Amino acid sequence: MNLKTLRDYGRVIFYAAEMALRSNLTDSFVLFGILVQPIIIALLAFWMLGDRGGEYIIFVVIGSGMTGLWTSCLFISGNSITQERWTGTLELMVSTPTPVSVIVIGKILSNVLQSLASMVLSYTLAIVIFGYVPTINQPVLFTISLLLTILSYACFGLLISPVFVLNPDVQRLQNGLEFPVYVLCGFMFPIALLPGWTTPLSYILSPYWAARALHATSSQWNGLGEVALSWAAMVALSLIYLMLSSLLFKRLLRRARLDATLNIQ
Amino acid sequence: MKAIEVRNLRRVFRATIGVVRRKIKEIVAVDDISFEVYDGELFGLLGPNGAGKTTTVKMLTTMLIPTSGEARVLGLDVVRSAEALRSRIGFVFGGERGLYWRLSGYDNLRYFASLYHVDPAVSRKRIPYLLDLVGLSDRGQEKVEGYSRGMKQRLHIARTLLHDPQVLFLDEPTIGLDPVGARELRQVVRNLQAEKKTILLTTHYMFEADALCQRIAVIDKGRIIALDTPEGLKTYVKDLAVIEFEVYGVPSNVLEQLRAQPYVHTVSVENRDQKQALLIHSPRGSQAVPDLLSMMNGIRIGNVIVREPTLEDAYVRLVGGEA
Repeated sequence: MNLKTLRDYGRVIFYAAEMALRSNLTDSFVLFGILVQPIIIALLAFWMLGDRGGEYIIFVVIGSGMTGLWTSCLFISGNSITQERWTGTLELMVSTPTPVSVIVIGKILSNVLQSLASMVLSYTLAIVIFGYVPTINQPVLFTISLLLTILSYACFGLLISPVFVLNPDVQRLQNGLEFPVYVLCGFMFPIALLPGWTTPLSYILSPYWAARALHATSSQWNGLGEVALSWAAMVALSLIYLMLSSLLFKRLLRRARLDATLNIQ
Repeated sequence: MKAIEVRNLRRVFRATIGVVRRKIKEIVAVDDISFEVYDGELFGLLGPNGAGKTTTVKMLTTMLIPTSGEARVLGLDVVRSAEALRSRIGFVFGGERGLYWRLSGYDNLRYFASLYHVDPAVSRKRIPYLLDLVGLSDRGQEKVEGYSRGMKQRLHIARTLLHDPQVLFLDEPTIGLDPVGARELRQVVRNLQAEKKTILLTTHYMFEADALCQRIAVIDKGRIIALDTPEGLKTYVKDLAVIEFEVYGVPSNVLEQLRAQPYVHTVSVENRDQKQALLIHSPRGSQAVPDLLSMMNGIRIGNVIVREPTLEDAYVRLVGGEA
């Protein structure tokens, strides 16, 4: 891949992200998922757990923000190809020289960045309504964790998107997948409270490691070792997701060209 | 030089029927077709709905993998060299889909230009030019959701020209347009032809094919049944005259009786608002009119015209009066 191709792909990612942002801002379902729902979760958590002390507030802020990120990843990124197929634009995307996965990266990155707004909203909510001033223990490490979280969510979205297209049965379970992941990834409470057999499931989900890194650097500091482990797990899982999604995209597009399912009317 | 070469191309679709006892039914959409299109030529693929036109175009534009056979566009195999080919061809499918309705026409073009890796400096000049070419320069900043069907079709034409492709595939580009919109779009196609683009146009409008195409392949039930110039195709019916009866409803038994006459080659009915045109091809011409009228007792008949055959008549004869 030469420099010109990289520049072309970078431009595609930017335009795809911009387009996704414009579309999402006019979609009330999306706005509810990334703005309203995390606020509801944060409000409930503040009322129930607010008396636990200052550190727990930032835990709630991060946790509710992560729920917004996952909802966005599951519904918006997961549907990114399906939606293009229904609107008749997938055929056009596929017949351009740009790989579909590059376009999807742009859309997912945009969705992830928009979802971070829910974390900011929860933070503001804590200050304005409850009078808390959440502090972050390790601001630099937290920022690094946040950047890795964005990347790992983007890779996870890139994996989910072709899986949903190739397996419509999985997509039918989309609603049911939302809350189990909140629980398995320890967004709002530690996974130590769950039965032991669920732990391996948490370990293969990068949002779990993202939540762990963000919680550790903001409120539950146990030393650099734990954070480094979470970062390494995020990077490794993201690479695995990327490789798997690359294979799935190739398979998806070949199958769609064989089965004539690029366009559904 | 050949811009498009198609050899024994075939495409079979599989459909599942039944709920409990599922059966797989094979539908042959394109059945062993071969043709060539030369550089700068405007080639027509003419056929009724379901004849296999769109399937052919989708295979040539790399969107469908053929079941068997071979196709090359600009010397590149449509399956093995699909990625290399995509930046050199453009296509338009009739209809309103395939655009981002919440974005403006300009933003749609800017986005697709990035997908085709058009340099931003080039697209900044090219997009206004293309919007002007398709008559949308004053509406380019408006959201596509407010466009008429014809405007969306024209925006598709602009989209397909963003990367200045050498070969264009236009699949029923005027379908569903009002007469003025269709005429404007045909003018755009003529302009593209003047720019020496190679164009493969599919249509089921005879006059459109006649007016635009240099050569026409008539396709029916997945097979090419004739390939010639418009004038050449008209010679298929030069021995016949067309007798046109203006009628207000024709029972099927009368149609069967007409078809059974030895001097009648083809019988077809066209709907024209409240009335129909009953078209009969016969070598006897006006001499056959009294006999034919005697078979249509009790049917309300308006004008009766006997005329020379057109391309449409040739087409009707070729596809067996099912147009």
